[in-house]
Amino acid sequence: MLDQFALSQAFGLLFSSFDPWIWVIPGLLIGLVFGSIPGLQISMAMAVFLPVTFGMDFLQAMLFLTAIFTGGAYGGGVTAILMNIPGSSSSIATAFDGYPMARQGKHNEALGLGLAASVVGSFIGYILLLLLIGPMAALVLKIGPMEMVVVVLWGLTLIATLNDGSVAKGLFAGFLGLLLSQIGMSTTGIMRTTVGNPHLLDGIPAVPAMIGIFAASELLRLRGSSYLVTDEAQRDISLRKILTGVAETFRYPAVLLRGSLIGAGIGAIPGVGSSVANLVSYGEARRTSRTPEAFGKGAPEGVIAAESANSSSEGGSMTALLALGIPGGAATAVLLAAFSFHNIIGGPSFIRNQTDVVYSIILGNLGQVLLLAVVGLLMLRVLGMVVRVPLAYLVPSVLAMCAWGGYGITGTIAGPLTVAAFALLGWLMRRNAYPVAATVIGLLLGRMMEGELVRTLQISNNQPMTYLLERPIALVLAIAMLAVLVGAPSLKALRARKARRAGQ
Amino acid sequence: MSARLSASHAAFLGIVLAITGFILWSALSASTSLNNLIVVAPAALLLGVLALCIVVAALRSPDADPAPAGALGDLLLLAGFGIFCYALTHVGFDVATFVFVWAGIVMSGGRSLWVPPLYAAIFSLALVKGFGSLFPYPMLTLVL
Repeated sequence: MLDQFALSQAFGLLFSSFDPWIWVIPGLLIGLVFGSIPGLQISMAMAVFLPVTFGMDFLQAMLFLTAIFTGGAYGGGVTAILMNIPGSSSSIATAFDGYPMARQGKHNEALGLGLAASVVGSFIGYILLLLLIGPMAALVLKIGPMEMVVVVLWGLTLIATLNDGSVAKGLFAGFLGLLLSQIGMSTTGIMRTTVGNPHLLDGIPAVPAMIGIFAASELLRLRGSSYLVTDEAQRDISLRKILTGVAETFRYPAVLLRGSLIGAGIGAIPGVGSSVANLVSYGEARRTSRTPEAFGKGAPEGVIAAESANSSSEGGSMTALLALGIPGGAATAVLLAAFSFHNIIGGPSFIRNQTDVVYSIILGNLGQVLLLAVVGLLMLRVLGMVVRVPLAYLVPSVLAMCAWGGYGITGTIAGPLTVAAFALLGWLMRRNAYPVAATVIGLLLGRMMEGELVRTLQISNNQPMTYLLERPIALVLAIAMLAVLVGAPSLKALRARKARRAGQ
Repeated sequence: MSARLSASHAAFLGIVLAITGFILWSALSASTSLNNLIVVAPAALLLGVLALCIVVAALRSPDADPAPAGALGDLLLLAGFGIFCYALTHVGFDVATFVFVWAGIVMSGGRSLWVPPLYAAIFSLALVKGFGSLFPYPMLTLVL
């Protein structure tokens, strides 16, 4: 499975001098800052700093850019926990339980949980990449639209579980997101609901919409309070409590491992990645938990499941890049650009001829993950200060940053206006107990769902069920999904009934 | 009815149903092919059914919808936020941010006379010179 000779050469490349590591810590810090500011995307940070890599050698450039990637993935989780503002779509599920923990004064523990889950998740993701890059590359090539439909459906099933009070409201919010995702040019080139506005040709910009519906509506709700954490005694930034959170992560080894495996698996599918992985992982953690009713109210398992999955998906997303030369998302596309700057072409020949370089990139990322643990711990003390800022100052400041973030993504007035429109929608939804997260999930996955469904129909000549039987991976995924969604609850209900009868 | 289905809930359902109707009509007018309606039609249909279920459940419920307080203040800040978003590219990022942050602090309970404008000025300067310098797009400013 591992080429021993190439592995020893990789160690030589990495550790014979300090040069490859010089830019790792600055990269992690840049990623943490960009990831934690709503509207500043990790891919944007990588693109902004891409020209800096011209003067570096290839390995140095790769480690610098992937350090931004690694830091950014965790940075998005920090604001999700502290302010209910996911820095990116990959941190949506982190906010579900991280933010309630912060509001209860457990922000230190939640940040510790997130950091440890991120570090372990990334580590597992890269270990899997190191061991399985060959076979995984072959598997990725067999993923077609039918398989994507099943994965996206799996992500969408989370919608139904997001509202404890009323399933109807959860589904209503989710279908609203799905419907809104259909605005703009369809997959087959048909114009829908653009009302003559060119900004709507590509549909509603998902990230500004997410910022508006999550952040702006939450900030309005906070307006009446004085601080994020009401109890003054709990407003401190305590390294001891953060470390308690770190230690608590390891009390849930099954959640941690399952989240990491889901993240690595889904992350390897080009175009799906961490935005789906964190949702699927969160949904599975909730479904299999002994206390599902605690989810959404500050359950540590929720933070662990989401953060381990979005971090391990980073290793997964590198599979397609290294083994096939296909970028799975915007961040890996920037890495591909760095490949071309250094006259390197990813793909099977790259793995075959330059195995040592491939291994050194993966091993370098493993080293980065360990450095993230240290840098993250130090930075958390600074980032956590937000709980000490009076809300009278924090609310308008972050609202202003949300609008700026919307502009930073679209470059036009459409971004800030989308933030404002979705802020109103989110405010109305929160006032009436509708889960805004379900709308965001629908909005993010709806367009992907439509594209994959249409492709499946075209490939299968409008016979999707017959086609499903010819696709072993899709079939296995579909059976696994049905087993998890229908089989597990039925089995649980059956056992409960048997136990009741035995009790009588 | 109004006691059991609050005004904001009725407004939300009304807005969503109006948007749903418009999107469905627009998609049907564009093309009635399966490829075009594969997500739109089922989603719109289910939204209609779910809205009906939610309204019936609310009307049958013995308890009225709880109406959270502070709607007027929230709506004022939301309106201010909408104007600020529009003003960014029409007045200038610097001035729009300064005025919005200052007004926002006062509306959120900031009492001091000189701290809010001073904070708003420093914050706007930091955003324009920091955040703004990372934008790959041109950014309109009036003063800075």
